[in-house]
Amino acid sequence: MSDDMDDIQAIFFEECAEGLAAAEQGLSAMQAGDVSPATIAAVFRAVHSIKGGAGAFGHVALTAFAHKFENLLDEVRAERIAPTPPTVGVMLSALDILSDHVAASQGSATTPDDAASLAAIQAVLNGEAGTVPASPPSLSPSPAPVAPVEAAQPADADPFGFEPVSVAVDDFDLGAIMAPAEQDAEAEPVGEPDWRVEFGPSREAMAGGSEPMLVIRELEDLGGRVVAVDCSSLPALRDVEPEDAYLRWTIQLPGWTREDSIQEAFDFVAPDSHIAIARFETERTPATTASEEPRGGDARALIGQIEAAAPGIAAAAQAAETRVTDSASQTIRVDLHKLDNLLNLVGELVIRNSILSDRLSAKDQERVELPELARLTREIQDNVMSLRAQPIKQAFSRVPRMLRDLMAETGKQVTLQTFGETTEVDKGVIEKIGDPLTHLIRNAVDHGLESPEERLRAGKSAEGTIRLSAEQKGARIIVTVADDGRGIDRARVRAKAIEKGIIPADAALSDEEIDQLICAPGFSTAATISNISGRGVGMDVVRSNVEALGGRVEISSTPGKGTSFTLVLPLTLAILDGMVVRLAGQRFVLPLATVVEAIRPEPGQVSATTPDNEVIEIRGEYLPVRRLTEVFGLHANEDRPVHESLVIIVESESAGRVGLLVDTIDDRREVVIKSLEQNLHPIRGLGGATILGDGSIALILDVEALVASAASHNRNLMRGLAA
Amino acid sequence: MTEQETPADEIKIVTFTLGARHFGIDMRSLIEIREWSEPTPLPSVPGYILGVTNLRGTVVPVVGLAERLGWTPSTIHARSCVLVVNIAGKQAGFLVDEVDDIVAIQESAIQPAPDVELQEVNVISGLVQITARARDGSEPKPQMVLLLDLDALAITRHLDMAA
Repeated sequence: MSDDMDDIQAIFFEECAEGLAAAEQGLSAMQAGDVSPATIAAVFRAVHSIKGGAGAFGHVALTAFAHKFENLLDEVRAERIAPTPPTVGVMLSALDILSDHVAASQGSATTPDDAASLAAIQAVLNGEAGTVPASPPSLSPSPAPVAPVEAAQPADADPFGFEPVSVAVDDFDLGAIMAPAEQDAEAEPVGEPDWRVEFGPSREAMAGGSEPMLVIRELEDLGGRVVAVDCSSLPALRDVEPEDAYLRWTIQLPGWTREDSIQEAFDFVAPDSHIAIARFETERTPATTASEEPRGGDARALIGQIEAAAPGIAAAAQAAETRVTDSASQTIRVDLHKLDNLLNLVGELVIRNSILSDRLSAKDQERVELPELARLTREIQDNVMSLRAQPIKQAFSRVPRMLRDLMAETGKQVTLQTFGETTEVDKGVIEKIGDPLTHLIRNAVDHGLESPEERLRAGKSAEGTIRLSAEQKGARIIVTVADDGRGIDRARVRAKAIEKGIIPADAALSDEEIDQLICAPGFSTAATISNISGRGVGMDVVRSNVEALGGRVEISSTPGKGTSFTLVLPLTLAILDGMVVRLAGQRFVLPLATVVEAIRPEPGQVSATTPDNEVIEIRGEYLPVRRLTEVFGLHANEDRPVHESLVIIVESESAGRVGLLVDTIDDRREVVIKSLEQNLHPIRGLGGATILGDGSIALILDVEALVASAASHNRNLMRGLAA
Repeated sequence: MTEQETPADEIKIVTFTLGARHFGIDMRSLIEIREWSEPTPLPSVPGYILGVTNLRGTVVPVVGLAERLGWTPSTIHARSCVLVVNIAGKQAGFLVDEVDDIVAIQESAIQPAPDVELQEVNVISGLVQITARARDGSEPKPQMVLLLDLDALAITRHLDMAA
C-alpha cells in the first residue's frame, strides 16, 4: 500500500521535474521576448499540474505557493497583466522557489522561505492590473480590465470606479463555472454589488453550542457561496483545542440579498464572533472569483477552489491548445524496463536473422525473402532504439536557473545561448550528462568568465556569453560548453601541476596537453585557480563521468578569447560500433570509436624496452604496446611471433595512443551492449558483453581501463591522469 | 505463486547431484534448467565462475557449483545441466551433475546443518531426508539432501571487483 503510494508519488515528482523544466523553458523564452500566448499557456499548464498533484498528495506549502504563482500566470495568460521583463523576473524567481518547494516536498531540502516571492507576486497582482495595454491582435478580445482580486476587499467597494459589467464575458465558460444558485443571481439585473461576508466563530460561540455549519448553510440557502477559508490561525495538530474555533470563512452572496436576512443568519453566534458584512465590487469573471486567494493553506479549501476553477481552466487551456495545436505531439509514458525488454527482444531477432543468413545459401535466402526480413528487422531495431531517444533539451533546461544562481553569487553577467536543443539522445545519456554539464557551466562562470569590470578593461562587453550546443555527428553527440572569457592561463596551470606533482618540472607539454591537465585528479580548480572556493568543482569528475559514458572531453582555449569544452558522447548507451577481434581463439569487441589504425607489424617493428614492456615504431614514433592475451591471462599462444599478430592503435583519453596486440580481426559490426553488472559485477578491462550472430557472447573491451594500466606500467608522463 | 501457500508448511525443492551428494534448492528461486553449453570465459574472475552465457538476451554468469562448494570440479557429461536461479534479483547459472526430482518437503522436517567446515558460513542452510525414487525401479530409500542457501552463494558477495 505504502509502496504503491511511493510509486505514485515518484511519478508525481517525475512529472514535477518535467513541469519545472517546461516552465523554466517557457519563462526563459518569455525573458528572451517570446510572450506568445502559447508560451504563456505552457508555463501556466506546467505550474497548474504541479499544483494539482501537490494538492492530491497533501503537500500543503507547495500547493499554496503554486496556487499563488498560478494566479499570477493566470492573470498574465488572460492578458490582464502584461508579461513585462520585471513581471517575468518575478515569475522566474517564483519558479526557483517553486522548485525548492518541490525539493522540500520530496524531502531533499528544507521548505524554502517564500515570503519575499509571494510578496513580489502580490505586488504584481496589485500593481500591474488595469494598466495593461491593449491586447495583442492574435487573441480574441479580452474582457475589460478588471479590478485585481486583492483590491476587491469588502471595505473599498469599487476603488477603480468601474461600472459592473456582467455581459462581456464571452471568453469564459460561465456556465461551467457558475454554481447553480448563482446562475439565477447572474440572470438578475445587476443593481447592487455582491455581498462579501466574513465569518469567524468565536470560542465563546462554539462553547455556547453554536454550529458554524448551520450558519453557513443558512447563508447558502440565501444564495451564498463559500469562496475562501482562512485557516492561518490553525495551530499545529497537537495544539488544537477541539472546543476552540480557528477557521474564518468568506462567503459571497448575491447583491440583491437583504442585509437583514444575512444578519439573521448570525443571530446565534453574535456578538462575540467575527462577522463582517460588506458590499464589494462585482467581479466580472467568476473565474477570478473562483481563484480567489485563500488566506492560508487549507487543503480542503484549495481542493474546493481547484474543483470550482477546473472547468474554467480546462476550457481556457483547451482554447489555448487549439491555438497552438502544432506545438506538442502526443506522448505516452512507458516504463523504461519495458523498452529495454523490447530492445532485448529485437536484438535477439536481429541475431536470429543473422543465424538464418549464415545457414541458408544465397539462393535459399532469396527464396524465403531473407533480405527483406533483415531490412525490416533492422528498421524495427532502429525504431525501438529511437523510442529511448529524447531531446537533449531536458538536460539543458536546468542550466538557466543554475546560471541565475551563479550570476547572483558571482556578480558576473552572463547571457546563455543554446543551440541544437532538439538533438535527440538516448535517455540514459541525458540522465548521465547532467552532472558533467553542471560542472562545466559552473566552471565557465567561476573560472572562464571575467568580472564585468575586467571584461570592460579587456575591451569586451560587460556581459559574458556562454554557448551551450548539441549536435549529432554520425553515431556521436557533440555537446559543447563555450565561454568568451579569459581562456586558460597555461603558465599557471602548468605551475600548479608541477607543484602538485602531476607532471615533472621539466615536462615538455603542448598547449593541448596543458589544457588537459585541468582534468587531472587532484587538480582541484576551485581551490587553486578560482577566487570562489569551497565548491570542489573538479574537472576530473567531468572527465570520469564522460568516460564512463564511453565519451571523451576535448578542451580548446584561446587566451583572452575564451575556452570551450567539448563532450563527445555516444548517441546511445545500448549500441556500439565495434571491431570483433580474436584473442587466443576467443572473440572480443573493440569499440571502433577508439581505433586509429590496425597494423600488421614487420619483424622488428615491435621491440621490448624492458622484459615486461614493448613499444611499436610507427613512422618514427614509439608507442607502448599491450598484449591483451597477457592482460586477460589468456595464455594460449604466448610463443606466437608478434609479426603474426595485429597491432591495433587506439586513442585514449588517459594515455594517448597505445597499441593493443590481438590475434586477428574478424569483423566490424554494430553490437547491442549488454551489461555484465546486471547479473555479475563490473570486470576491469571489460565494458560489457554482447551477443554475436551465432548466439554466443563476446566481451566488449574497455580501452580506457586497458591502456590506463599500460600507462602506469610504462610510468608514463601522464601517470597522474590515469590513476 | 500458489504452491508456497499450500499447505502452509510445505515447500518444493528441486534436487540434484554433485558427485555422490544430493542437494536441494528452493523451487521458488529456480528460473529454468538448461542443457550444458560452453560459456564464454571471463578474465580476472575466480576459477569457479566458468564464464557467461546468453539467456534469451541477458548475460548470465555460470558457476561451477562443485568448485564453489570446495569439491572437485564437475566433469561435463551427457546429463550435465545448468540450474538458472534468481538470487536477490540477480540471475546466475549453476553447473550440476544431474537434476533428480522435484519434491515437496515439510519445512518443519528441515534439520539445522551441523557446523560444516566450510570457509564461510551457512552455505548449507539445512538437511532434510527424502524418500527418493530410484531410477532402476528398486525400492525407494531414504536419502539425505543438503539444502543450499542461495543468498550465501551470491556471486557478488565474495568478489571484490575492484581487485
